[in-house]
Amino acid sequence: MAVPRTTTVTRVRRQLPTSPWLFAAPGLLIAGAFVLYPFLSTLANSFTDRRTLIPGRFVGLANYREMLHDDMFWIGLRNSTLYVLGVVPALVVLPLLLALLVRKNIPGITFFRSAFYTPVVASIVVVGLIWVWLLDERGLINSLLETIGVGRVGFLSDQWLLLLSAMAVTVWKGLGYYMIIYLAALAGVPRELHEAAAVDGAGAVRRFLTVTVPAVRSTMVLVGALSSVAAFKVFSEVYLMAGPSGGPAGEDTTLVMLVQRTGTGLTGRVGYASALSVVVFAVTVALMLLVLRADRKEERV
Amino acid sequence: MRISRRALAAAAVCFVLPLSACGSGSDGGGPADASGKVEGDITFQTWNLRANFKPYFEGVIADFEKEYPGIHVKWIDQPAEGYADKISADAAGGTLPDVVNVSPDLVAPLAKAGLALDLDKAAPTYGKEYLEGAWASHRIPGTTGTYAFPWYLNTGPLFYNKSLFEEAGLDPDQPPRTYGELFTDALELAKRTDGEVATLANVPTIEDFGRYGVPLMNDQGTAFAFDDDKGVELLTKYKELYDAKALDPQALTATPESSGKKFLTGAVAMNPGSALDLGNFKKQAPNLYRNIGITDQITSTGHVNMYVMGLMVNARSERTPAAVAFAHYVTDAEHQMSFAKQVAIFPSTAGSLDDPYFTEEDGTDETRVRIAAAKSLKNAVNYTPVLFSEQMKTALRNEVAKALQGRQSPKEALDNAVKACDTLLRQQG
Repeated sequence: MAVPRTTTVTRVRRQLPTSPWLFAAPGLLIAGAFVLYPFLSTLANSFTDRRTLIPGRFVGLANYREMLHDDMFWIGLRNSTLYVLGVVPALVVLPLLLALLVRKNIPGITFFRSAFYTPVVASIVVVGLIWVWLLDERGLINSLLETIGVGRVGFLSDQWLLLLSAMAVTVWKGLGYYMIIYLAALAGVPRELHEAAAVDGAGAVRRFLTVTVPAVRSTMVLVGALSSVAAFKVFSEVYLMAGPSGGPAGEDTTLVMLVQRTGTGLTGRVGYASALSVVVFAVTVALMLLVLRADRKEERV
Repeated sequence: MRISRRALAAAAVCFVLPLSACGSGSDGGGPADASGKVEGDITFQTWNLRANFKPYFEGVIADFEKEYPGIHVKWIDQPAEGYADKISADAAGGTLPDVVNVSPDLVAPLAKAGLALDLDKAAPTYGKEYLEGAWASHRIPGTTGTYAFPWYLNTGPLFYNKSLFEEAGLDPDQPPRTYGELFTDALELAKRTDGEVATLANVPTIEDFGRYGVPLMNDQGTAFAFDDDKGVELLTKYKELYDAKALDPQALTATPESSGKKFLTGAVAMNPGSALDLGNFKKQAPNLYRNIGITDQITSTGHVNMYVMGLMVNARSERTPAAVAFAHYVTDAEHQMSFAKQVAIFPSTAGSLDDPYFTEEDGTDETRVRIAAAKSLKNAVNYTPVLFSEQMKTALRNEVAKALQGRQSPKEALDNAVKACDTLLRQQG
């Protein structure tokens, strides 16, 4: 790759060794002010007993030790983990199937594509409230269930059903977004591969598993990583459906809800909430690494 | 592959970094002096009052500016939702307005952080203009001062659905008044409707314990005490209601909005509210409006709970004399009286409740309700302990919920709640 250097390039390099940094400066400044600084200050706060209006003292690992004995922390960790386990497989697989359905160019398909994408555009608060109405003890869904003789189901009063309902809303809302990502990936799958497989006598299922899936595998990893991070940090859906106190007896509290509840307001415990945030950060980083690792391992095979 | 991994890394950075921390803390300011020249620009913040009372406040501000030509008042209004968060962001960032509309529980942390002006020191002469109880409601256990001018009072009426009472064979003109009557009626209503109609939509709050006659804190205000026999008795009764569906099955996750909606749709027979709700019923549920009954809060102590609004002066204000003068002006007898004539609230100034406006019937329902409320306000108690924070509310609520679900006994629940609240109290410092 020996490209002859032009004199201009050499001169610029020699005169302004800082120029790359200057180009990056606006972005770096913004990232520094709004990402790095808040992160570092959260990290620092997590070792103090700071409250909203009262500056904290250094307390070492006391906040982290407190977590071990805080029932609410374990409930939050459990729920956030369950959320990942429930939501991620669905969000990796379902949008792919949906994308396969809507990629065909048949008349009227645009309608379906937009329909599936609509929940993505809608505000999560609006969507959440609509589902709360639908799932209410006397909402549409329960009236239907009653009509067909199943009887009312306490979607919003049972702790597990509540969590499941919230997961369903997350999946439903995310379908369209990941579908678009898969559509882009599917466009890159060579047609010939499918044709060759078909000639070899592979059926639709076989072709899906041996041609489509390997071709979009990296996209699946991306979707898995994005959705697992988002799922672990779930807040809005559960907050809207289970209420600010986190469902019956707080059993549906997620970690981020706990951060919000602990750290906000005039009596907020900023120190403890920061420590909780750091744990959320650590777990999400671990999740990312795990997904990437799985990807690399498979690649080697 | 490489691209997608880089995308992952980028995504990781954007998605993962957690919530940011808030601004700087405080360093405790001494109380400023209210004597001195009354002048300068001050900011006045109200709590969700612009939408309904814009002309009233503009009038008050104009009159004040006429009386004190050196002062200009800038009025800002914050929505009801997230008011505490807004104040805490301002307080932490040092941008708290000069005069702030607060409730006692909001004043407590601000006073402890040295952000609320101690009126006993800065303006001691004004105290006697107000009802004693109202003035005392902005005293904080553990501190010595009084940290806000009392403003308007309210008891919040209790609405009930007369037709639901009637259908269940209860006398719609004899709503329950004490907790004992409430429990009897609620169980009856649930029995007659096969659990279709609940009477209550909310789990008991700290105010319920207060009105039931449970001591909420010890005398020094240093620890909570609502886990005594009386408290256990109340929670045991609520558990019975919950099992009979006389307490709505969704009560454990109810919010004021959701229970309001249940009342509107006739799924719940009683709901606490404010005078503003009447207009809402008229618009959204005309059927209900025709059958609406209005009564006093349920209480077994003879005292209803009173909600107190106050005006706090920012201790860091650079215009303390002007801010104190304005806060006093808005809360003096004359202006509280004129505000009370705008909307169903009640003045906290001494003697105002004896005004014919609050004592003489004129035959209308509205006046009847007003006179009844003014009467009950005279011996009302502000049950909510000023130190009872949002976090404590959640702790109590969750322990109560576990008791209602039968996962722990009422006694265990209240012991746990008291323990959790005491820990939070200590952590507040």
